[in-house]
Amino acid sequence: MKNIVIGRYIPGNSFLYSLDPRTKILALLILMIGVFVIDHIMHMVYAIAIIFLVLLLGKISIKRIYLGLRPLLFLLIFTFTFQIIFNRHGELLFEETLYYSPVSIALAAAIGIFWFFTKRFIKFRLLYFLMTLLAIGTVLSLTLFPGTFATGRFAVYEEGLFMALFIMLRLIIIVTLSTMLTMTTKPTDLNLGLEQILAPLKILRINAEEIAMIISISLRYIPTLLDEANKIMLAQASRGVDFEEGKMKEKVVQIVSLLVPMFIISFKRSDDLANAMEARSFAPGRPRTRLHVLTWKRLDSCVLALSFLLLVTAILSRVLL
Amino acid sequence: MAIKFERVSFQYTSMDNKGYLALADINLSINKTGEFITLIGETGSGKSTLAQHMNALLQPTEGRVHIFGITVDDKTKKQRKIKLNPIRKQVGLVFQFPEYQLFEETVEKDIMFGPKNFGVSTEEAAKRAEKMIEVVGLDASYLKRSPFNLSGGEKKRVSIAGILAMEPDILILDEPTSGLDPIGRNALLDVFYNIHTELDKTVIIITHDMNTVYEYAKRVMVMREGVLVYDGDPVALFSKSNIDRWNLDVPDILGLTRDLEAKFDYKFTEPPRSRKALFKALEGMLK
Repeated sequence: MKNIVIGRYIPGNSFLYSLDPRTKILALLILMIGVFVIDHIMHMVYAIAIIFLVLLLGKISIKRIYLGLRPLLFLLIFTFTFQIIFNRHGELLFEETLYYSPVSIALAAAIGIFWFFTKRFIKFRLLYFLMTLLAIGTVLSLTLFPGTFATGRFAVYEEGLFMALFIMLRLIIIVTLSTMLTMTTKPTDLNLGLEQILAPLKILRINAEEIAMIISISLRYIPTLLDEANKIMLAQASRGVDFEEGKMKEKVVQIVSLLVPMFIISFKRSDDLANAMEARSFAPGRPRTRLHVLTWKRLDSCVLALSFLLLVTAILSRVLL
Repeated sequence: MAIKFERVSFQYTSMDNKGYLALADINLSINKTGEFITLIGETGSGKSTLAQHMNALLQPTEGRVHIFGITVDDKTKKQRKIKLNPIRKQVGLVFQFPEYQLFEETVEKDIMFGPKNFGVSTEEAAKRAEKMIEVVGLDASYLKRSPFNLSGGEKKRVSIAGILAMEPDILILDEPTSGLDPIGRNALLDVFYNIHTELDKTVIIITHDMNTVYEYAKRVMVMREGVLVYDGDPVALFSKSNIDRWNLDVPDILGLTRDLEAKFDYKFTEPPRSRKALFKALEGMLK
């Protein structure tokens, strides 16, 4: 649980850190709209090049971004294969007939099982997974085995390949952008920025300050609750709960033994917090002064203007090209 | 030797990779039977971390811990060859806050949870629950109540009963008497002492109360900033130089006997360690 990179602030110093959080939030929104406007794969490649440039200028290590992307790897692979298999437009790039016979299916299944049991010993799991898929595909495309009862067709079309790459790049860009925001902005600053951006919603009788307070309290309590969960797990482990092993039926009891104390402790904590806030005269909706006041600098205007420029370029590229 | 620490160090990992050294080069050994140990030290000195090493909840980052013939080191968890669960049946650890472990609908079910995890039959576990609830000073009427409607002290007793019902060979208690009234505190300490004397089991108590140390313990360990600075006789611990060096409180009885000795210019042949022993010694003094 300690290795979650998404949404975590990592201290550093570069121009991204000195930007006003409002700028970063707005720029993120503008750039995201821009990414959705783009409809050509080459433009997407330009976009990713620009993101790379920003990463370099902002002194953010690519490795951290990769770690942030890793939880999404499954989603990326899924959309990629989905597009490749089902999108049948454009020119045919690759075709292979698959022969289903008892022997070939058994062999493919054997490779799959072998992969399942050996994957934990291999360092490059993704590569290993792809190689396994390739091996299964090769086995199925061989005509050696007798008793073929059905044939299938595996084909890759130009459009499918492009769309697959296109969607993958888009996802990567969006996640990278948001990781950049959360990585370089302290949660408290992020929250303050969000609050001020949402302040105009007062016209709609939505109190941005309250929402911001709710968000900041929730963010504040994530590490605390993780810590509590860890303590509960230790306490239950000393009563013989084996969180790492155990059968499915035991797993249910294990989760209950973790969740019930978790709920009780959270309720108790929120009660305590409410009392502590009231004891310090907190009243929702009353005007309050701030410890940190956001300042808008020239750099912020520049970054916002540049982001707008990129959005306009994206729109123009779509309309004109 | 039931538990043996060999040059054990433990470092907590933190976000910025600057680990926090909670235990530094600890060597100790604990017998399976006949020991009554208190573990003292300031908050944050590593007492609880040390206790969690004794039933393999934590694994040392350096060195080895031998627990009932099983060797635990930094690679144990990765290799997954050794099952750590059986260790927890033999070395029972009661955590400081009962809120972290109570979760069943009734007190009875909660006490039965531990034993059942270690393969004890439901009937046997129910029998143990009935017995242990009495041992910790509550009565059988508590068994059908919800553990969440109890007072702090009662929750504490239920959580202790939950570990006792596992019938561990060694019992470790992390501040078992914090949050209890003085009468309940003494009653519970007597319970642990009885478990120790009657069943000849080793009991380890983490505490801040020097009276407990002085009155009950046969052996005391002092932790200070992750280092085990003292391991031995409680009477010798409270010598003048040690008290100054480690900022210890003087136990009430010891303070009283020292004052008496100074005031009446008398020397107790054997310094009394409990109220009872003090009265007895006073009798001799008055004669």
